[in-house]
Amino acid sequence: MQREQLEFDVLFVGAGPANLAGAIHLKKLAQQNGREIEVAVIEKAESIGAHSLSGAVLDPRALRELLPDFRERDCPIEETDLRDAVFYLTAGGQFRLPYVPPYMHNEGCFIISLSKFCAWLGSIAEELGVNVFPGFAGVEALYDESGRRVIGVRTGDKGINKEGKPKSNFEPGVDLLAKVTVFGEGPKGSLIREVGNKLGIFTGRMPQVFETAIKEVIEIPASNPFLNAPFTVVHTFGYPLGLNTRGGGFLYRMKANRVSLGLVVGLDYEDALLEPYQEFLRFKKHPLIADIIGGGKVLQQGAKTLAAGGWYTLPQLAVDGAVFVGDSASMLNVQRLKGIHTAMKSGMLAAETILAAVTKDDVRASVLDDYRVRLEGSWIQGELYAARNFGQALSRKGVAKFIALGAQFVSGGRGFVDPMKISDDADSLKPGRGAPPPPVQDLDGQLYLDKLTGVYLSGTKHEEDQPCHLVIPDANLCVTRCWETFRSPCTRFCPGQVYEMDTTDEGLPRLKLNPSNCLHCKTCEIKDPFKNIIWTCPEGGGGPKYSIV
Amino acid sequence: MDIVVLVKQVPDTESLVQIAGDGVSIKKDDIKWIMNPYDELAVEEALRIKEAKGGTVTVLSVGAQKAQETIRTALAMGADKGLLVNDPAAEGGDALATARILAAAVKNLPFDLIIAGQRAVDEDNYQVGAAVAEFLGIPHVSLVSKAELLEGRIRCQRAVEGGSVTVEAPLPALFTTQRGLNEPRYASLPGIMKAKKKPLEVKTVAALGLDPARVGAAGRKVVVKALRLPPERKAVRMIAGETPAAIAAELVRVLHEEARLI
Ligand SMILES: Cc1cc2nc3c(=O)[nH]c(=O)nc-3n(C[C@H](O)[C@H](O)[C@H](O)COP(=O)(O)OP(=O)(O)OC[C@H]3O[C@@H](n4cnc5c(N)ncnc54)[C@H](O)[C@@H]3O)c2cc1C
Ligand SMILES: Cc1cc2nc3c(=O)[nH]c(=O)nc-3n(C[C@H](O)[C@H](O)[C@H](O)COP(=O)(O)OP(=O)(O)OC[C@H]3O[C@@H](n4cnc5c(N)ncnc54)[C@H](O)[C@@H]3O)c2cc1C
Repeated sequence: MQREQLEFDVLFVGAGPANLAGAIHLKKLAQQNGREIEVAVIEKAESIGAHSLSGAVLDPRALRELLPDFRERDCPIEETDLRDAVFYLTAGGQFRLPYVPPYMHNEGCFIISLSKFCAWLGSIAEELGVNVFPGFAGVEALYDESGRRVIGVRTGDKGINKEGKPKSNFEPGVDLLAKVTVFGEGPKGSLIREVGNKLGIFTGRMPQVFETAIKEVIEIPASNPFLNAPFTVVHTFGYPLGLNTRGGGFLYRMKANRVSLGLVVGLDYEDALLEPYQEFLRFKKHPLIADIIGGGKVLQQGAKTLAAGGWYTLPQLAVDGAVFVGDSASMLNVQRLKGIHTAMKSGMLAAETILAAVTKDDVRASVLDDYRVRLEGSWIQGELYAARNFGQALSRKGVAKFIALGAQFVSGGRGFVDPMKISDDADSLKPGRGAPPPPVQDLDGQLYLDKLTGVYLSGTKHEEDQPCHLVIPDANLCVTRCWETFRSPCTRFCPGQVYEMDTTDEGLPRLKLNPSNCLHCKTCEIKDPFKNIIWTCPEGGGGPKYSIV
Repeated sequence: MDIVVLVKQVPDTESLVQIAGDGVSIKKDDIKWIMNPYDELAVEEALRIKEAKGGTVTVLSVGAQKAQETIRTALAMGADKGLLVNDPAAEGGDALATARILAAAVKNLPFDLIIAGQRAVDEDNYQVGAAVAEFLGIPHVSLVSKAELLEGRIRCQRAVEGGSVTVEAPLPALFTTQRGLNEPRYASLPGIMKAKKKPLEVKTVAALGLDPARVGAAGRKVVVKALRLPPERKAVRMIAGETPAAIAAELVRVLHEEARLI
């Protein structure tokens, strides 16, 4: 099929904070240098910000560098008064840490909703003349004849039915060609996976590892004492995950009697019967949290993963014709639980390199590698290097984690072993054949929701008549080894109830997929013990419609 | 064939809809805005007619500055030009007041055919299309599921209880859309690029020669007393059983004995 081609100087794939900051910075730099540059951003969500979900405590460092006048430009900020409290939770009680470690200090930061923030950045990019295309998924990287240089991205076809046949409204994808393509797909990008396999950008690094989070924005009664509490930013560890599973909870005060609430679960967990969504409900039912959110109503729910590997999992940052930024390139600082500022900064550093490369008309990897050099000279390096073993320490069981953390604390991040090893999340599950713990009861559909009500409140919608975007290469494995060894963990780790076990007419077990429920968090591809799930982009515009998370 | 399509920007019903403090409007901060789905059908039908017969497609909307996005979407689908009536005086109108503005705007445009959605999914009035036709003194056919152009006439099929009727009207005429009329096309990427350069005019009420006192909130006849969200849906009850026949029997029993519907 002959596809239409559109040419740009620079193409950004994904409209998260990394790429939006990159595109804005690039346009501004070009203007300052009196250069014309055609820039495009594509995003699979139906509008910019609709697939953005985060905490989020924003460290404004990169934002200040990008848009010093962000306050005057009505940057959507929820809360400026950040006062921290860290709690250790037991099943029925809590203990507030008398001392908050310096990297957890959040004074001077802001609470934001990433969906609103990205929508705002998107509008600024458009004002600067960036071509912003929401509703278009990149489904294939394009290469030159040598097969080594990235020359752009193909967008997905639209209007294909379940059987793969074009419908009357069929609209073929187009080839977007660019001198430089910037991949900022967030955690576990579906294109970076292909580019990585082909060009080996992950070779010789420690494996990419992730955490998954379920988050809600809850409206609480105006009379709720939390609205006047001495702290506005709560982090918890301990219950319900215990000390053997990495992760913890967060609760932030927002505007308009709202709070942001979430539980993060390290995807290196071992218990095949664990269900992150149930842990989230248990977390909500803990007295500390239940008191704060009591009488409230969930306005929006969603789930997303975050790239938690840090410094030692950074991939090769440039290939011929392309660079990698943000969570896709492991820029998140796990120690500070923050990746927005580093994502933005990485996009901006990439933009500086790209402008120079495009001006010289030389986009070879050796030239684009200047981005890595800039990164290593920037404050990102300072942050990520100091935290280089932090995530690994968190993955230690029980009190061993505190010993490792303590050693790192006094040695500038080195600790006892440097580097500490990182293992693939897909390999951590231990066989589990028992029955999962009983699910949390008393869901009221207002404050405590089952998964499907949560999916409903994420606004998730996909064109129903389209090919399944979740590829299961070996369906038989699901009902044999995976069921026998792990009791089908996909039915538990997916927060959207996409995977269900069912029986065929002949009474045999069968994996049933509800791809329309997919929240695009990609936990399945990361955690499947047999790597038997491949996440691809569904028809552009489908997925969650986040607006406040 | 010159076609005018009436499009309205409405809140996405999937987005977070909450009633505002005044009790008679909705909170606008956290909602997403989209083209009314029935108007997508209207744009698609206009484009198909244009592709078959030639002519122009003009997209007309009354709304705030933001409604330009919706007009751009229609232009990206393939419409030729857009006209937005954006005026504080036009704000807060009911169906009749809005139709008055639309009719005045259409009068200044060449047109053989007007296509509108059957209803906008925000207020569900089912009135604007018919009222515009009345103001213009042209025939109107509602809830059309199939349209066919003949020489100087239009033949429309509309669903009625237990079947469908076919009606004809001389042009110029107006019809409103029903699901099934077509499958709207996607705005393509090249289409979006082209749409940026297509003409989109913005006019005020005064420029249309209308008296501001007869439109918008001032011209309103219908007063909203209160807004309420629909009652929360009760949890779904799954009916289980060994065989389809047993399930059906149980369903009939529940509908008869418990729900008392049959
Ligand atoms: C629950 C949670 C809490 C967090 N809390 C904080 C916090 O408090 N502070 C903080 O600083 N950070 C926090 N983070 C981390 C932060 O959100 C991320 O580090 C940051 O969003 C990364 O930005 P990014 O631009 O790299 O990727 P993303 O924000 O993931 O954006 C990537 C975008 O690309 C799009 N995309 C992906 N693939 C394609 C494709 N093939 N075609 C088209 N579009 C595509 C996606 O839809 C998405 O919009 C948190 C994360 C989570 C999940
Ligand atoms: C967004 C969405 C997602 C869905 N996801 C799933 C899913 O993952 N799994 C799944 O099993 N179903 C799902 N459904 C429901 C499923 O699509 C319908 O039940 C089924 O397609 C109806 O088929 P039909 O041809 O028999 O019904 P139709 O002939 O179209 O229905 C006629 C009428 O029959 C009644 N009816 C039909 N089916 C049911 C039913 N199941 N229970 C009660 N009354 C019914 C309704 O009144 C309906 O209007 C989903 C529906 C929607 C809208």
